[in-house]
Amino acid sequence: MRYQNRLIVGGFFFLLFWFNLAEAQGFQVNFQGQKQQGMGCAGSALVQDASTLFFNPAGASFVSKSQVNLAITPIFGNVMYVDSVTNEMYRTENPVGTPLNFYALIKPKRFHRLAYGLSVTTPFGSTVQYEPGWIGRFAITRLSMKVFHIQPTASFKITDNISIGAGFVFSPGSVNLQKDLPVQFNDGTFGHAEISGAAMGYGYNLGVYYNPGGFLSAGLSYRSGINMSVSDGQVDFTVPEGLAPNFPNGSLSASLALPSVTTLGLNIKPKASWNIVADINYVGWNTYDTLAFDYATNTSSLEDTKSPRMYKNIFAFRGGIQYAVFAKDKVLNVRFGGGFGFSPVPTGYLTPETPDGNRAYFTSGISYEFNKRFSLDASIYATKITRADTNLETQLSGTFTTIAWAPGIGINYNW
Amino acid sequence: MKRQYLYILFVLPLLMACKPKAPTHVVDAGTADFTKFIAIGDGHTAGYMDDGLSLDGQRNSLGAILQQQLMMVGAPALEMPWMSEQNIGLSVNGLSRLILGYKTDCQGISSLSPVRVSLQGETSALASSAYNPSKKHSNFGVPGFRMIDMVSTAFGNINLPQHNAFFARMSKDQFNLPGSGNYSSVQENIFDGGSPTFCSIYLGIEDVLPYARSGATQHPMSPLAGFPGLGFEESLTQLCEQLSSQNVKAVLATIPNISDWPFFNTIPYNGLTLDAEKAASLNQIYNPIGISFVVGANPFMVVDPNAGMFGVRPAVPGEKILLTAPLDSVKCNQMGSIFPFRNEFVLTTEELATIQLRIEAFNAVIRQKATTYGFAIVETGGFYDKLTTGFAYNGATLSAKFVSGGAFSLDGIHLNPRGNALLANEFIKAINKKFTAKIPLINALNYNAILFP
Repeated sequence: MRYQNRLIVGGFFFLLFWFNLAEAQGFQVNFQGQKQQGMGCAGSALVQDASTLFFNPAGASFVSKSQVNLAITPIFGNVMYVDSVTNEMYRTENPVGTPLNFYALIKPKRFHRLAYGLSVTTPFGSTVQYEPGWIGRFAITRLSMKVFHIQPTASFKITDNISIGAGFVFSPGSVNLQKDLPVQFNDGTFGHAEISGAAMGYGYNLGVYYNPGGFLSAGLSYRSGINMSVSDGQVDFTVPEGLAPNFPNGSLSASLALPSVTTLGLNIKPKASWNIVADINYVGWNTYDTLAFDYATNTSSLEDTKSPRMYKNIFAFRGGIQYAVFAKDKVLNVRFGGGFGFSPVPTGYLTPETPDGNRAYFTSGISYEFNKRFSLDASIYATKITRADTNLETQLSGTFTTIAWAPGIGINYNW
Repeated sequence: MKRQYLYILFVLPLLMACKPKAPTHVVDAGTADFTKFIAIGDGHTAGYMDDGLSLDGQRNSLGAILQQQLMMVGAPALEMPWMSEQNIGLSVNGLSRLILGYKTDCQGISSLSPVRVSLQGETSALASSAYNPSKKHSNFGVPGFRMIDMVSTAFGNINLPQHNAFFARMSKDQFNLPGSGNYSSVQENIFDGGSPTFCSIYLGIEDVLPYARSGATQHPMSPLAGFPGLGFEESLTQLCEQLSSQNVKAVLATIPNISDWPFFNTIPYNGLTLDAEKAASLNQIYNPIGISFVVGANPFMVVDPNAGMFGVRPAVPGEKILLTAPLDSVKCNQMGSIFPFRNEFVLTTEELATIQLRIEAFNAVIRQKATTYGFAIVETGGFYDKLTTGFAYNGATLSAKFVSGGAFSLDGIHLNPRGNALLANEFIKAINKKFTAKIPLINALNYNAILFP
């Protein structure tokens, strides 16, 4: 038995390093379920709670009870930039990010093959704020992006083992981007630009789930790409009076293509108290090829901008293990996991607003069932990303190192 | 056993620091010794900009910015012939420096334009000496300093009309007995009280620039040949000889193609914009001698003694109309059309070719001396070519465009602080390469460009 367990643990790590288990990248946030977060953000095929509405809508009809689930995961992210030309070092002063998710899943008593529900999640977004006077100030000083996905969902068991599910995604959001302008007041301070606006987008979430209730279960899901469009944004310039005619405040439009995510999930249950999960993501980042701003009023100094981003599609692999410590009453679950992910940002296109790179991360988590109705989840995630690049557009050349911590907590209530 | 494994994995995410740790960098002087560093050069090295020498300009001079960075590897603190805190500035013609302000033209239209900061320049700076025997200057940047002035004893001789007042105020000559008639050269000042260990030498621009600025009408270019003090080559050779004999290492810089600078490129040759009425009236005057005008852009009319019996012709592509051309007269008094631009406002293609040839001849000498004496060499032409094309620098775009380009000062000739910082980086790259030093480059965004009201 001891030998067997070692084999499983060893096998897991073999997989982890062989396949480069990973998570998705860019400004995607993968904190949509505490139980999954404990297992390397994998677990779309291990349906345990209402968060399956996000991970695989088909899993909803396999949840045994109606449930509400609320969780929050503060992100403590620190970025350090070391300029390769001047050796100068700058840091971010990011506020704590607060991705949250709310799930409500209803199991109608009379139609046990059916489930429906609503999820509110924040699968994209970030706030990056660099210290004052940093060397990349003309590229960005602050970017705050928030995206909410509001997803009404229905799931149906076709057979006892196979279900399908679909959700429609409303995606309101907001963006605030600030940078300094390379024009100077008489006292030497730089001009400043602030772009802000509300965005809206639509998409859908589809899934199919197979669970014969034994050694193996599997799921396949597809979340569509969403084009977030800012139709009535506002740009405000702070520039010397002598240049004010060149930088007219006014409206602007822009759009941002959020990528599609295809997920294949597997769950293996070698023994009653063990689950081994693995997810493979394919993220369609290549829709993010340009960040364009279309100003309502153009001047010789203020032309519409088209900054190339050239993101590429990536695979992301994640994996984890769940172990029920007190197996008899299934009261306490402990989890761990991790991954490794490829960056969608190609060489020459790394920007300070998303200082992304290939990343490895580790997570662990715990769940405790107080009673049949009420349970609590907690997780912790940690990663370190290092990426050196010279941006072709800005010529900013240096190394970004990011350390991010994300402890999360969630509550579940069943009935 | 099994559970112990599990707990180790469980705490894995906790085994990490909260913030990325700052790296340490190796900074090294290599085979060079900067403990007695001296910057030698013309107005660029001195901090002449916006057509004036001022305290702010000095602090942001090529020489000062370079030396400040070299202080990381042992260079001494800056000692310059400082101007006053008032920052009025002093031009070579006794005027104050230029700033960007509002100017009302002859048509009553007010717009942003370079204007003088005050009625009079900081002429008081020339009334007192800036020499201090206990604080040797580390910057021998002198506005108007030519290569051939290096050993000239007339250069600092205040009794001669051709002396350079900027040098005279920093020379050790103030301790000469009155009327003794002994005046020392720049080179004597440089070696006064011990030789330097390292020199940056950026000379040669002033050997050609005054000629170009005058529209090739005055201030002949320095000859290549001739004894030290007369010819370019031997003036440089004797300096290199003395440096070499004292084991002084140096970085030399070539002369950029000055005709690419905004002073020569801001007013286009065809900048005469006409409406139908003006074009018709000019056609009445010029059609009889075979010159016609169209609505829109036309070449300016220029004086050319060789152009037929009237000695006027339209400017041709490639010719430069200088920034000294009186634009108010163009707008209101038919300058450049009925009254053609005089020669002093124009560089013809032949004149440009002559200047170009001389620069190339000087540069060949500079490169050869660098090789002979084992000095580092800065190819400034490459730097200015990049500016002419325009390039991105940490998210800002810099170019050789007047005012908006962000690298040249308001005189269209000298760089502004940010431009100087970028050029100083070229010096550091050359030093790093030649002397296997590890000196980081300067963040030029920490230096001002053009300040707007």
